[in-house]
Amino acid sequence: MIITNNLTKKYGDFTALDQLELSVKEGDIYCLLGANGAGKTTTINLLLGFIQPTSGSAFINQLKVEENPLETKRFLAYIPENLMLYPSLSAVENLDYFSGIGGKSLNKSQLEGFLEEAGLQSGAFHKRIESFSKGMRQKVGIAIALAKDAKVLLLDEPTSGLDPKASNEFGHLLQKLRGKGVATLMATHDLFRAKEVATHIGIMKDGHLKQQFVASDISLSQLEKTYLETMDYKTLVS
Amino acid sequence: MIRKTIKKEIKELFRDGRVRISIFIVLLLLGVAVWISSRQYQNTNQDYAAARLSEREVWDNQGEKNPHSAAHYGTYAFKPKYPLSLVDQGVDKYAGTSIFLEAHKRNEAQFSAATDQTGLSRFGDLTPDFILLFIMPLFIVLLGYNSFTKERELGTHSLLKSAGARGWKIVLGKWIALFLPVLAITTSLLLLAGIVLSNLPDYGVFQWSSLVAMGLVYLLYYAVFTNLVLWVSHWAKRSGISLVVSLSLWIVACLAAPKAASNIAEARHPYPTRQEFAANVLKDKEAGLDGHNPWNKEAKLLEEQVLAEHGVDSLHQLPFNFNAYRMQKGEEHEAEVYFKQYNYLKEQYQKQSGTYRSLALLSPFLPARFLSMGIAHTDYATHWDFSDAAENYRIATQKFLNDNTAQNTKYGERGYKASADFWKQLPAFDYDPPCLDKVLENNSSNLMILGMWTVLSFILLFISTKKI
Amino acid sequence: MFRYNFKYESIALLRSKWIQILIVILLLLFGFATYNGQQKTFKRQADIIEANAEIADADRDMLKLLDSVEQGFQVSASSWTIPNAPMAVGNYHPRLASMPPSDLSFLATGQSDMFTHFVKPTASGDDLALNFTEMTSPVQLLFGSFDIAFVVIFLLPLLIIAFSYDVLSSERESGSLRLLAAQPISLYKWLFQKLGLRFFWVAVIMTLSLTLVFLLNQVAIGSNFAAFMGFLAITLAYALFWFALAFAVNLWVGSSGKNAVALLGLWVVFVLLIPAVLNQLGGTLYPMPSRGLMINDMRAIKAEATQRQDEILDNYLRDHPEYAVNDTTQKRSFWHRYMASQQLVKKELEPILIRYERQLEKQQLLLNRFTWVSPAIVVQGSLNQMAGNGNKSYKSYREQVIAFAQEWRNHFLPMLYNNQEFRSENYAQLPKFTFQRPTYQSQSSALFVVLCSALIVLGIGALRFRIYSKKEQSLVNQ
Repeated sequence: MIITNNLTKKYGDFTALDQLELSVKEGDIYCLLGANGAGKTTTINLLLGFIQPTSGSAFINQLKVEENPLETKRFLAYIPENLMLYPSLSAVENLDYFSGIGGKSLNKSQLEGFLEEAGLQSGAFHKRIESFSKGMRQKVGIAIALAKDAKVLLLDEPTSGLDPKASNEFGHLLQKLRGKGVATLMATHDLFRAKEVATHIGIMKDGHLKQQFVASDISLSQLEKTYLETMDYKTLVS
Repeated sequence: MIRKTIKKEIKELFRDGRVRISIFIVLLLLGVAVWISSRQYQNTNQDYAAARLSEREVWDNQGEKNPHSAAHYGTYAFKPKYPLSLVDQGVDKYAGTSIFLEAHKRNEAQFSAATDQTGLSRFGDLTPDFILLFIMPLFIVLLGYNSFTKERELGTHSLLKSAGARGWKIVLGKWIALFLPVLAITTSLLLLAGIVLSNLPDYGVFQWSSLVAMGLVYLLYYAVFTNLVLWVSHWAKRSGISLVVSLSLWIVACLAAPKAASNIAEARHPYPTRQEFAANVLKDKEAGLDGHNPWNKEAKLLEEQVLAEHGVDSLHQLPFNFNAYRMQKGEEHEAEVYFKQYNYLKEQYQKQSGTYRSLALLSPFLPARFLSMGIAHTDYATHWDFSDAAENYRIATQKFLNDNTAQNTKYGERGYKASADFWKQLPAFDYDPPCLDKVLENNSSNLMILGMWTVLSFILLFISTKKI
Repeated sequence: MFRYNFKYESIALLRSKWIQILIVILLLLFGFATYNGQQKTFKRQADIIEANAEIADADRDMLKLLDSVEQGFQVSASSWTIPNAPMAVGNYHPRLASMPPSDLSFLATGQSDMFTHFVKPTASGDDLALNFTEMTSPVQLLFGSFDIAFVVIFLLPLLIIAFSYDVLSSERESGSLRLLAAQPISLYKWLFQKLGLRFFWVAVIMTLSLTLVFLLNQVAIGSNFAAFMGFLAITLAYALFWFALAFAVNLWVGSSGKNAVALLGLWVVFVLLIPAVLNQLGGTLYPMPSRGLMINDMRAIKAEATQRQDEILDNYLRDHPEYAVNDTTQKRSFWHRYMASQQLVKKELEPILIRYERQLEKQQLLLNRFTWVSPAIVVQGSLNQMAGNGNKSYKSYREQVIAFAQEWRNHFLPMLYNNQEFRSENYAQLPKFTFQRPTYQSQSSALFVVLCSALIVLGIGALRFRIYSKKEQSLVNQ
């Protein structure tokens, strides 16, 4: 579903992402770990077509993002780190708007159905977003992905700022989507959550993908150890 | 604490591209405006000097002529341009520049520049006062609208709070930082104007003290805006709201209020139309002595009275020419009529000024506008003063001419002509505008209102920001 | 996408109270401006009616006096004012040359606060004695009027700027733009629709509030329907221009703060700076000759004419043999000499006076050539024209009055030189003045210019799309 070939992004002399080779298949949840500035968000921006690669290419559902900016977006859903919706509109209205402008008309029961599936309490369906917590907003974001019937889900730090309960709930939602065959790419700092939900884990540093694991092959403590070693790599040699 | 805040704010301001661009644009505009105005000022004054000189020549070289014919022939009083009109043009464009001084009639100043321009001139001109009065407050709005909201949006606000910063100290720091660029621009403009004026060949009545007074008025005006903009920024939740609200304040104060005030003043205290005014004058004139008409009822009365006074029974026995005496009396009556009618106009004007003052509570623009014009001698009051001076000169001239006839001729004698060099004895018309003290005294209520705006807006700002 | 944008943008605008605020503000502004304008119009009408009534009164007295004189009664008036002398009628019983307001006069004050709307040219007065300026406080002229033209030209753009400066940037700053950009839509189309929708609402509210306000203020919309529609069209086109600017600035500039500065800067440029600079340019290229020096010229001509009065009269009568033939008395009074020299003075003054009208015409021509530089100027000219208060109307009025003054003078000249008396039956033949309003011109060319500027600006906005067509999404990260 998600494939990157030799994907590179340079800003002048600075290389934000260097020859990234990545592949996320249907039903995979791929977690990208790394410090700030490691290239995680750059990867997601490239997959969304928000920025253009310096070289190499990114594919969503076998379509080259650069050449099919609108087409590829039909298959993907994206939840930014700080998901902002329209504060003066309700959850149902926001969902209706975002799926509607993408060309998908849904009736009221369908809309409520997706919100319910995303785990939002029914009491909040018709409340304005301005009173929502981050967790609740993210559920609306998931509902948008569900309504779109997205094949690819891109997540940028989805669990930062969530309380443990909300974070746990979010993990369950991802598993549910995985069951539907969605390919998920998630950038995060949260080792614990990554180990818990991911099928695959990659560690990035300075634009390079340093390590890749199958999640089930590694324990949480091993993951932490490897992560810290990777991060300190530079300080060790210098 | 305060010094640190100022330093930080100034640094932030100058690192912001939009601020640098705005300052550059404002300075550029000011430069162009001063250049255009100084050229205009020089041209107008050259024209003025030429017209005045040639008019006096025409008067002096009338040759032998009957003094009353000369009175009808008349002369002109020209209004000069004053040095500080370089900074504030005031109503100069809309007020006439020359008054025809003739027998029996007080004329209004004629030929304002605006009537000789296209409708475009009503948009306003690129003059220093336009920038000082309109653009600078806008500049303050653009610089200051996010002064507090920015901190709130970035979260630095709570950081400041947790650092135990005192509210008023932060506000004062921000205030000074916002005011400094404004102060710098204003001072440099006025300095530039002062230097240009002192280097003009005939700058005559230019005084630095007036320029300083004008500068202070503008600084008070800017202080009010700075206070209001900071207060709005503190009160608003988001930068967007703060911008829209302070922009609305600017629109109301600088654009809408003056126009609304002018409409209200006119509706409440209207001027008569020119035709109405002429009709009123005519009615009053007819009720009194007519210097040209010996059969007029008042003329007969005057005759009897003068005969009785001198104890003679025929006009021929009077030691002076009664015709000329009657002419002078008629002239005095007409002068009285004009005095009365013009006083009515003046009353309307003063009532209108009262309306402007009461509406100044809605807009600090109004008192600043009036003060600045007053100090520059380009306001309506100066124009009135000038036209009163011209009227006094006209009355004196008529007396000068009639007296000459009365003393040199006998009753019933016709065809008297004064000698060719007689005209030179008439003193030239000279007008000095009121001095700075007088102007400030006349404008004391405007000064008070502006002062009140300053004090109240300071209080508002510092009370509401006690807790940041 | 359009349906959803329309629905939810409208809901959001309603909930954030934007639409309500806009309705209240526009009603207040248009209401106050229309009320003011109508009051002025009514006063102008009343003044003219009053002046006409005064003349009718004076005429009645004059006819009574004339009747007494004709019957041979002794009358108690100064000898030179008795109306059996034609010059007495010509000088003391002038007609009113008035310029009544048009139905839409309230739209724009234009030059109507500066110039008078009725003068009474006399037979002996010269053209310079006709004072066309009104007695107004110059403060009032300086501040200007709160009329519809002011609201439309100055305030409407500011409202639009406040309404649209952050349409794109606020979404970027709040983060919702990233979510939108992840949808399979074109951000250009989306922004275009969003601003189009706001334009739609502004247009609807403006049309309704203007219609309501006009009806409440007794504006005769029905009988001026074409002009009213023309006014609406040009106002909406002007609003469109400002929305187009907002579109371009949203695309080209960036953050909300910068957008606001850029749009307000453009407002200053289009509404204040360009008109001021053009005006200054006109005055510099075609400067008005000094009025002071004109006075000197005029006085020289008059002085010379006075000295040569007898000679002038002889020449005049030689040129007009018809006068001498019909008159047996050959009486020559002050007026005979005066009117003859006055005709000469008029002829000699003409080239001097015409210089001023010529220069003004040249300035106007220059202006007409560059009017497209700022839609504000186009709209001002157009509204002034609709209101009948523009320079053109007053110029035409001046010309008509001067022509009428000549007609009035010429009416009395044969009587004067033939030494005929003015009699009651001559009263009906006195010339009358009716102002011929310049015919209503359709504002389509002005409309065309404003629409073109709006399209050009939209094009400049869209240019960003062409230049960065591949990088549409770069809007997200700006």
